[in-house]
Amino acid sequence: MSAKGIPDLCSFVLLQVGSRRFALPAGSVMELAPPVHLHTFPHNSPLVAGVIVRRGRIVPVYDAAEILIGRESPMHRFYLIADRNFVDASEPIAIPVNGECELVTSKVQPPNSDDPAYMCGKLDVESEQIPVLDLELLLAMPAVPAPGPERASVGAQVQP
Amino acid sequence: MRFASHDTVKPKRAHRAEAIILFSAGRQTFAIAADSVQEIRSTDSLAGAAFEMQQSDLPEIRHTIRRNHRTYYVVNACAHFRLPVTRPTLVLILRQMRVAVLVDRIERMVEVSAIHPLPRAFASDERRWYRGLAYVDDHVIPVLQPSGFLTPEEFERLDRISEVFGAQHKMQGTVQA
Repeated sequence: MSAKGIPDLCSFVLLQVGSRRFALPAGSVMELAPPVHLHTFPHNSPLVAGVIVRRGRIVPVYDAAEILIGRESPMHRFYLIADRNFVDASEPIAIPVNGECELVTSKVQPPNSDDPAYMCGKLDVESEQIPVLDLELLLAMPAVPAPGPERASVGAQVQP
Repeated sequence: MRFASHDTVKPKRAHRAEAIILFSAGRQTFAIAADSVQEIRSTDSLAGAAFEMQQSDLPEIRHTIRRNHRTYYVVNACAHFRLPVTRPTLVLILRQMRVAVLVDRIERMVEVSAIHPLPRAFASDERRWYRGLAYVDDHVIPVLQPSGFLTPEEFERLDRISEVFGAQHKMQGTVQA
């Protein structure tokens, strides 16, 4: 094991948020959904942008772009549906992504010491270093962006 | 990974249909169970029956109304849900709570076969505000929890304030007489 809880060689889904790519363990990803309508209503949960309807279920959408790239996701986007573990059950959640996702099998390298806690490793893909996300830690973050190359401004809570 | 077309919400089990009232506050549509609403009145019709509550520390409550010897607290829905405040034209008087809700307009009444639970991702005040979510004509609409407008502690606090206000009002009346 080279990164927290992830075997050395593993399958990952590469997703694009803004102009950056990130990786999620393929085991936690359920599907890539088309850019369906985002339904919004008042709430106070950080990072939650609203809900979409997928396969007969109401799926909450987390817009983590403010944390990952320092700004909101573009309007026309796909949704990567993944499983999130809550205390008593797991539920599908959606993350807005740009366009198609890729599936790769790669060796995981440990994160840099100054990487944010939600980056649990990195992949070397086509000479690009792609951070592996720990979904649980990422979505448990307060809605303030961590240091990153594309950070444009300090984000605020997402309040549709 | 799968990639599939659009979808609609399907209730998993057969449920008894429930009538809900769709109404708007600001630009947001909400729903509330029809059987939890006792009466819908225009705000104009309540003009003489409403008392201003100056000392309320809850920004969404500025008035009370007296009905059947009970004090109802008038909650502005926009202020409660932190939406831009509009000029409400209707008031929903709830059945089992001493709450009247100021809203902009009634959209319609529909029957839904299921109220879907709020996903666990919603973990803040909205768990108190909403019973769940309804899927009506391709729209996901939050279904309000009648008890979510005021907590028992807020009722107690408001009751104390309105008792003091009522006593002062009576005294002023006596002095003037």
